[in-house]
Amino acid sequence: MDRRDFIKLTAVTGTSATLASCGNSEHQLIRFVPDEDLVPGVAEWKPGVCPLCAAGCGLSVRVMEADVETVRNGQAGVVKMGVAKKLEGQAGHPISQGGLCARGQAAIQVTYHPDRLAHPLKRSGARGAGELKEVTWDEAIAELVGHLDALAAAQDQKSLAFLTRPRRGRRLALAAEFLNRFGAPAPVPFELFGEEVLRRANAISFGHEQLPTFDLARSRFVIAFGADFLGTWNSPVAQNAAYGAMRQGRPGQRGAFVQVESRMSLTGANADQWVPVKPGTDGVLALGLAHVMLSNKLRPADAAGRAGAAIDGWSGGLADYTPARVEQVTGVSAKRVDRLARELVELGPAVAMIGGAPLAHTNGLFHALAVNALNGLLGAVGQPGGVFFTPGFQPSVPGPQVPSPQALQNLSAKVLLVDDVNPVFGAPKAWKVREALAKIPFIASFSSFLDETSSLADLILPDHSFLESWVDSTPESGALEAVTTVAGPVMKPLYQTRATADVLIEVAGKLKSPIALPWKTAEEVAKSQPPAPSPQSPPAARSPERLALRKYSEPVFDGDAAQYPFHFLPYMSQQFGDGSTAHLPWLQEMPDPLTSAMWSSWVEINPQTAERLEIAQGDLVDITSPHGVVRAPAMIFPGVAPDVIAMPVGQGHETFTRYASNRGVNPIGILAPATDAETGALAWAATRVKIARAGGGNGSLIMFAGEMREHPHEHETR
Amino acid sequence: MPHKWGMAVDLDRCTGCGACVTACHAENNIPTVGPAQAARGRAMHWLRVERYWEGDFPDVRLTFRPVMCQHCDAAPCEPVCPTYASHHTDEGLNAQVYNRCIGTRYCANACPYSVRFFDFFNPQWPKPLHLQLNPDVSVREVGVMEKCTFCVQRIRAVEIDAKAEKRELKDGDVKPACVQGCSARALVFGDLNDPESEVSRLSRSPRGSKLLEDVGTLPKVTYLERQTQV
Ligand code: SF4
Ligand code: SF4
Repeated sequence: MDRRDFIKLTAVTGTSATLASCGNSEHQLIRFVPDEDLVPGVAEWKPGVCPLCAAGCGLSVRVMEADVETVRNGQAGVVKMGVAKKLEGQAGHPISQGGLCARGQAAIQVTYHPDRLAHPLKRSGARGAGELKEVTWDEAIAELVGHLDALAAAQDQKSLAFLTRPRRGRRLALAAEFLNRFGAPAPVPFELFGEEVLRRANAISFGHEQLPTFDLARSRFVIAFGADFLGTWNSPVAQNAAYGAMRQGRPGQRGAFVQVESRMSLTGANADQWVPVKPGTDGVLALGLAHVMLSNKLRPADAAGRAGAAIDGWSGGLADYTPARVEQVTGVSAKRVDRLARELVELGPAVAMIGGAPLAHTNGLFHALAVNALNGLLGAVGQPGGVFFTPGFQPSVPGPQVPSPQALQNLSAKVLLVDDVNPVFGAPKAWKVREALAKIPFIASFSSFLDETSSLADLILPDHSFLESWVDSTPESGALEAVTTVAGPVMKPLYQTRATADVLIEVAGKLKSPIALPWKTAEEVAKSQPPAPSPQSPPAARSPERLALRKYSEPVFDGDAAQYPFHFLPYMSQQFGDGSTAHLPWLQEMPDPLTSAMWSSWVEINPQTAERLEIAQGDLVDITSPHGVVRAPAMIFPGVAPDVIAMPVGQGHETFTRYASNRGVNPIGILAPATDAETGALAWAATRVKIARAGGGNGSLIMFAGEMREHPHEHETR
Repeated sequence: MPHKWGMAVDLDRCTGCGACVTACHAENNIPTVGPAQAARGRAMHWLRVERYWEGDFPDVRLTFRPVMCQHCDAAPCEPVCPTYASHHTDEGLNAQVYNRCIGTRYCANACPYSVRFFDFFNPQWPKPLHLQLNPDVSVREVGVMEKCTFCVQRIRAVEIDAKAEKRELKDGDVKPACVQGCSARALVFGDLNDPESEVSRLSRSPRGSKLLEDVGTLPKVTYLERQTQV
């Protein structure tokens, strides 16, 4: 007999898994007979994919039996089912190689978050007032279908817009197909720390519009400009694994590492040489290094090929980038430029990286092109220990991966669908995203949580969690070979949620004029392979002569230097990335590796600057840009330049569950809407600020107290 | 010969990423205490990443060091415990018997590494966060001390499996959660009684030293010094 047909009900007392309800006779619950065969206490391991960033780390999920409170046919009860217990990196996975980052370790709390949305919701009060009522899936889908039918009836299909996180695998391909066949514009991707500048530079220099992969395990010398590649940038788990091997994986051959930046990142803390530069000048240093190599004939000029040809003055030996000039512009001494250049050549194979803040200036593209040319000159492209492009990758949706501010501000849609993205939190206030959304008559969200964007929706159709649904990922970078990971659900859904892919497919079929999609289920979507990549025009095919020549132009900062004397550097936090994981309690309570702060926002100030302005650790400080002000406790931070003020991104949510709401402040709010001149990408490091002490500490800066009572250096016998 | 479990931490590989800290929470049912209690110094991290700043901008240097219970062979926490809750096992683990612990906190006072944490209240996991709990690890209640166990539940599980399959343990069979999670492979765990094990080999490294070596605790964790560019 199929046990599924045979639902026997028994009353039990309490749910054994929770302390609070033990022996509490009020908790009389129905116990359903499970419909899975489970051996109590025995773990099963199932594959998965970490959903928390684009790196696409492969997971191995430990699944064990547990009592789960659930609702079946309208009846509340308890059922034994297999649930995820622990996430590990999948051994042998080309990206994660058995490891995970801190966020990946905490991803399980996305599924078990107490504030996860459990069923469809419809707005009942004013927009954003948080009054929502539960509706059935039939009602929710009928409502969405009704709005789409109305667009079709008015011949206004183009007024449907779809806002999404970029690079979401096959699910984004489904959305694109849906929109295309409906007659709507392509999905609009939004990502605060987008990588459009680097992709564009790589297309110009190497013919690959793609993020790079580094063969660090075989590098002997690494120089990174701003890229927090051991923390949050690109594919951090794969890069940590390769970094460990670079340092200690080859007996007697320890790779050296230099980091260039203006605020010491987690990555910079690991460098042998930490080289601060003036913000917005990184490319000048890169070309200064190239100048030394060229003028001393340490490397042949033509080694850089097309990447060199894109730089103005390359064939003339980069006469504008002498060490003396580099010192003037970047603040790095001429002697050091000379020495670094020689080390790169002599101690190679060497590779250069660039990412993060240097590309977030009005002249961002130049810096990326300069570093690409340096890599070309070093002979690092496609060589052991160098830079590679994962073969066969193509974005699931072609076209720009970050929106221009116009695309967000002028979303003239009548119906907006929002998938796993929160631009109301993640875009500068000056972009007026909230105002743009307010003008849209109907917004539906697939979010699992109420955040600043989904709380403006009229209808919420909550997705399954990544552990409850089919997932897939084909990361753009992180491995030298193409990687596609597809995994089925590791556990049954806890709630009345539905896979967004299934919802889109159902909606497509229920329209007055139904849309035929090539997939029938979310499973088919995840398993479908992308069409074969269109043959990329090889770099040589585009003639170098026609390249526009790039040269350094001074970065333009928003805010007058006399009035706003500090550069403002928001950075992706180790715990929260761009803020999308601030709702996970393990990450809130994880001490920040560089400061030990937990549950807090803070503003990093150089000790001399703090002394001059009479600001002490924990004092409240107002950080004012031409676009707004935030108030945060001071963190006296030895690794930040005296004229730079840095703040981690991630806190300051107005609405994002019990753990993140109204905690700290959001530095993105005060950013200027400046953009990189060529790509239009947000120049999030181009804002100037002033700071002033606003008062003594209010206790909002929480640091982890645990530390040894004595400093080990005082004890170590050498 | 019984096993003697120990760890090596290669500070030249450790990037300070903190994955081990979260992995430890996930494996060992360590509660989060929330901001108000954290502000009172009651956050619990069996494993933490310490940081040492040296120098002034621009010649500033920062070094990370993951610190967990050092499982000392002469553990100062053991003799001070009136109930033998803190004791030594025959495999060299410094173990804590929760239901013997009466919460005197003498052990925490005695520990020079500040790795022991007191449960000031019953842990809370708003439903369904309780589903994340590891059934192999007991949940501690108010009034007891807790700390790193070297993931004794994983050691036992591997030992029991090996016994059932009538085979010897191989080096690398046992991986505590922090070791398994560390992408940079900075953490290595194994049997110090096996001179060929990776942890034994690393513990003999000329870069190796013990934490606060001169206080005489005989730790079983060896730190391999971070190197500098040559
Ligand atoms: S790098 Fe971290 S957040 Fe990104 S996919 Fe890997 S484990 Fe997840
Ligand atoms: S996971 Fe590894 S690299 Fe990261 S902090 Fe821990 S020991 Fe260091």
